Amino acid sequence: MPIAKRLVPLLLIILCFCRFSFAQNKFTVSGTVTDSGTGETLIGASVKLLGSITSGTVTNAYGFYSLSVPEGAYKISVSFIGYKTVEHSITISKNLRQNFVLSEDNQLNEVVISAEKRDENVSSPQMGLQKINVREINNVPVLLGERDVLKTLQLLPGIKSAGEGNSGFYVRGGSTDQNLILLDEAPVYNASHLLGFFSTFNSDAIKDVSVYKGGMPAQYGGRLASVLDIKMNDGNRKDYTAEGGIGLISSRLKVEGPIVKDKGSFMVSARRTYLDAFLALSPDSSVSGNTLYFYDVNAKANYQLDDKNTLFLSGYFGRDKLGISEAFGFNWGNSTVTLRWNHLYSDRLFSNTSLIYSNYNYVIQNFMEDNDFEVNSSIKDFNLKQDFEYSLSNRHSLKFGVNAIHHTIAPGKLTASDSSSVNQTTYENRKGYELATYVSDEWAISDRLNLVYGLRISGFSLTGPGNFKAYDEDGNIISTKTYKAGEVVKNYFNLEPRFSASYQIAPSSSLKAAYTRNIQNIHLMSNSTSTSPTDLYIMNSNNVKPEIADQIAAGYFRNFNDNNYEFSAEVYYKWMQNQIEYRSGTDLRGNGNVEADLLYGDGRAYGIELFLKKRFGKFNGWIGYTWSRTQRQFDAINEAKWFYAKQDRTHDISLVGIYKAGPRWTFSSVFVYNTGNAVTYPSGKYQINGRTTFYYTEKNGYRTPDYHRLDVAATLEGKPGKKLQSSWSFGIYNLYNRQNAFSIDFKDNPDDVSKTQVVRTTLFGIIPSVTWNFKF
Amino acid sequence: MKKKDIISVIGALIVLVWLSGCEKVIDLKLDNATPQLVIYGGLSDKIDNHLVMISKTYDFTDPNRFNPVSGAKVVVRNEEGVTIEYVEVSNGLYQSPKFRGQSGKKYMLDVTYDGKIYSATSTMPGKVPLDSLTFKDFSFFGKTNTYVAANYVDPKDIQNQYRYILTVKGKIEDDAVSEDRFDDGNKVANVIFYELNDLVRGDTIDVEFQCIDRNVYKYFYSLGQNSGTGGPPVAPANPPSNFNNKALGVFNAYSISRKTVVIK
Repeated sequence: MPIAKRLVPLLLIILCFCRFSFAQNKFTVSGTVTDSGTGETLIGASVKLLGSITSGTVTNAYGFYSLSVPEGAYKISVSFIGYKTVEHSITISKNLRQNFVLSEDNQLNEVVISAEKRDENVSSPQMGLQKINVREINNVPVLLGERDVLKTLQLLPGIKSAGEGNSGFYVRGGSTDQNLILLDEAPVYNASHLLGFFSTFNSDAIKDVSVYKGGMPAQYGGRLASVLDIKMNDGNRKDYTAEGGIGLISSRLKVEGPIVKDKGSFMVSARRTYLDAFLALSPDSSVSGNTLYFYDVNAKANYQLDDKNTLFLSGYFGRDKLGISEAFGFNWGNSTVTLRWNHLYSDRLFSNTSLIYSNYNYVIQNFMEDNDFEVNSSIKDFNLKQDFEYSLSNRHSLKFGVNAIHHTIAPGKLTASDSSSVNQTTYENRKGYELATYVSDEWAISDRLNLVYGLRISGFSLTGPGNFKAYDEDGNIISTKTYKAGEVVKNYFNLEPRFSASYQIAPSSSLKAAYTRNIQNIHLMSNSTSTSPTDLYIMNSNNVKPEIADQIAAGYFRNFNDNNYEFSAEVYYKWMQNQIEYRSGTDLRGNGNVEADLLYGDGRAYGIELFLKKRFGKFNGWIGYTWSRTQRQFDAINEAKWFYAKQDRTHDISLVGIYKAGPRWTFSSVFVYNTGNAVTYPSGKYQINGRTTFYYTEKNGYRTPDYHRLDVAATLEGKPGKKLQSSWSFGIYNLYNRQNAFSIDFKDNPDDVSKTQVVRTTLFGIIPSVTWNFKF
Repeated sequence: MKKKDIISVIGALIVLVWLSGCEKVIDLKLDNATPQLVIYGGLSDKIDNHLVMISKTYDFTDPNRFNPVSGAKVVVRNEEGVTIEYVEVSNGLYQSPKFRGQSGKKYMLDVTYDGKIYSATSTMPGKVPLDSLTFKDFSFFGKTNTYVAANYVDPKDIQNQYRYILTVKGKIEDDAVSEDRFDDGNKVANVIFYELNDLVRGDTIDVEFQCIDRNVYKYFYSLGQNSGTGGPPVAPANPPSNFNNKALGVFNAYSISRKTVVIK
């Protein structure tokens, strides 16, 4: 494999680089930070050493930290928002293992808004990063009372909803498939249930959510627009607990506890909707025989073999099922399994090895006589990741690693009985490898200037077996070549530099800048106006080139009032190459020549994002505002002129307020406003065979009506001190019953066919909800 | 049910379940584009006066009508160079002398108007006869609808495209296309998804069945996508016309068969 040959020497160079440069008389303090109640590791807890020099870090995704400092006397301080800070004096004269157990600070408000250390947003060189504390989303009002990480994310600047009630999102002008969504490192290909009304992420099972809108660290790669990194709960290491909720359309249950006390734990969380239970109540068999539900299960177990080795096994399994009695069935879902091994080679070198399996598939069954068939389609990944974190000195902290993913895409297998009019057809599977290696260094140049710079080298190989076609500009086949199993059809090789820097201009304010290049080797085929479970991924090929995005960003970050208020302003400009659109009249379903219908062009996106957050106190929340532009240019579309992409929205405002009225009541409210999407509406009409037909001019030259909505929610906690703790959540979605346009259709007036009318469809008017949550 | 219809049905199902969905007629300010030439018509394998209709686009708010273009020169040529001139019999309606087209032959249409020539070509496919019409019932959520199905035998190993023009009680109600991608060489009963409810004795249902070439199929498929009747809705665009010089519409050389049923 030529790419592998190129990557291996690079990795060796990186490893050699790590072996030298040991400073004299330097020792390492390392360990983990955990929650005293549950034993869960804490991600992003701040660890600071104060002495002859000052050094600080935050715990990694596994709650591990490592600091290298000269010998001497220090004060060590460990803090995490929502927890009591631990501080004591230590003398460092040898390498030390020091674990910390933090207990929740009930004096502090329970409505915690951020998991970062208090001034992390200002001091860290990372930009374009938004974190969500899972406890925070419990108080934000949502549609039908279903807490949803993805929908709460959409309330942050730069992250936009893909539509009413839709869990798809657009980041800085990217499309929904340009987001890398990771659940315990496993890529999730379809993050929505019920055609987008719910996300696949059950917030009960989630510990930490980070989204990178830009300045992605080098360890992430594979998508253009963003990285959404979701970590599941590890499970309570101290006690067995259960919690759950009963809502209008779904119920949830989570059970967790120790496998061996303080050594290992498990967590299982499941939910299921019961819309179909209502259908079953119907006396009409053609109604009650229908199915419509989804369920998902998150499970995780971990076991600490010794203080140097920990194993984690986590999995997700979710499925949506739809069926019309005796007519057809349709189901789809993701499954992921992640096996991880944390190993400490030394106090400074932390290693994580992950073996990941991810599968998304759908099945359509048609049971009608003479016409029965079944369609199976899937995308399957095997993924091996090796990541190292190396604490080089108090000024340098290195991350490096390798990643290999093998993709198998089965576009569709059509089976049918002998009596069916449908022929059996199998579309050729496609196989490919993504290989990457990266290195990145976080360098504290001075107390004020911090730098993260790195490089990701990514390769992609499309391999046989199969027949691979080449097409001319009009989509006609010009050649077909047959490849054997494992034979390389096409290789791509790309360098992805990553750079971000922060300069602290005052103790509580900083300027940051970043440049990132991202490559995307796998592309979602979707020409419909909404996402569908049957949307299919394709890989780079002899026709399709890797998508490339270059982004520059700059920002000003400022905290006020003892870090109580956080403000940021970020500007970005992004260039995109090899973007994909479709010829008009393209049929993506069961299309063996789908690449013939693709068009390639460029994109650009720019904007400014303002964010003001009140982090603590009885009243907290945030205001986010985004001004942005997103455009595309294709030679064969819109007369080769730039046009607005459908995700272009000029203004986007979110207001979130949470008020803790007392020990038991919490009130919250969300207001959102955005300019309508760019769409194509008719600018004239004509007749074809006596039927009204619309004439379109500029692509996406119109706007849907502005979107706005106000939601409110109230949570009543049960009386404290009982074994069974329960709470009630009440919510009203779209309080003032705004009739937002889900779609705008143009058709003849049924009462007067000489006229044409515009019809607006609204999906959700005012919708109340109630959920009962419990924990014991 | 065909694969492509399943998505629409699922969409309908979701909307049904979430009964909160609500439709309202609204006012929307739309631009008035410069009128554009529209050419629609062709020829078939039947001895007939074949028609070409030439019109211009007009404003969205205007009453629906055929907006004729007079004084164009309309000529059909075959590959041997034989030309047939269409004569304007009423405003915008151009008629050929009686003749029949031949399967497998390529035809070219030239429309000369306002000093510009608009040209298109279409190849008349081999004929597949429509054998019969049958009725099918489907129940969705307690409501049973009746549809008509066109029955024919698709020829094996040939890529075929079909167009169905459904006329109910003298009015064109559906104009849909299909292809044999999934049922090549089989006996096919293609359901036309127009609800035939409330029919009474004496009502007529007529299906004109055309075999059309690939480009004509793509034109009508795209037209169906825009109106959301041909699978999942896509961002609308003018369907890919086989005319040059930015004329809208399509030139169609097709083979034709037809069946009519009268409700008893």
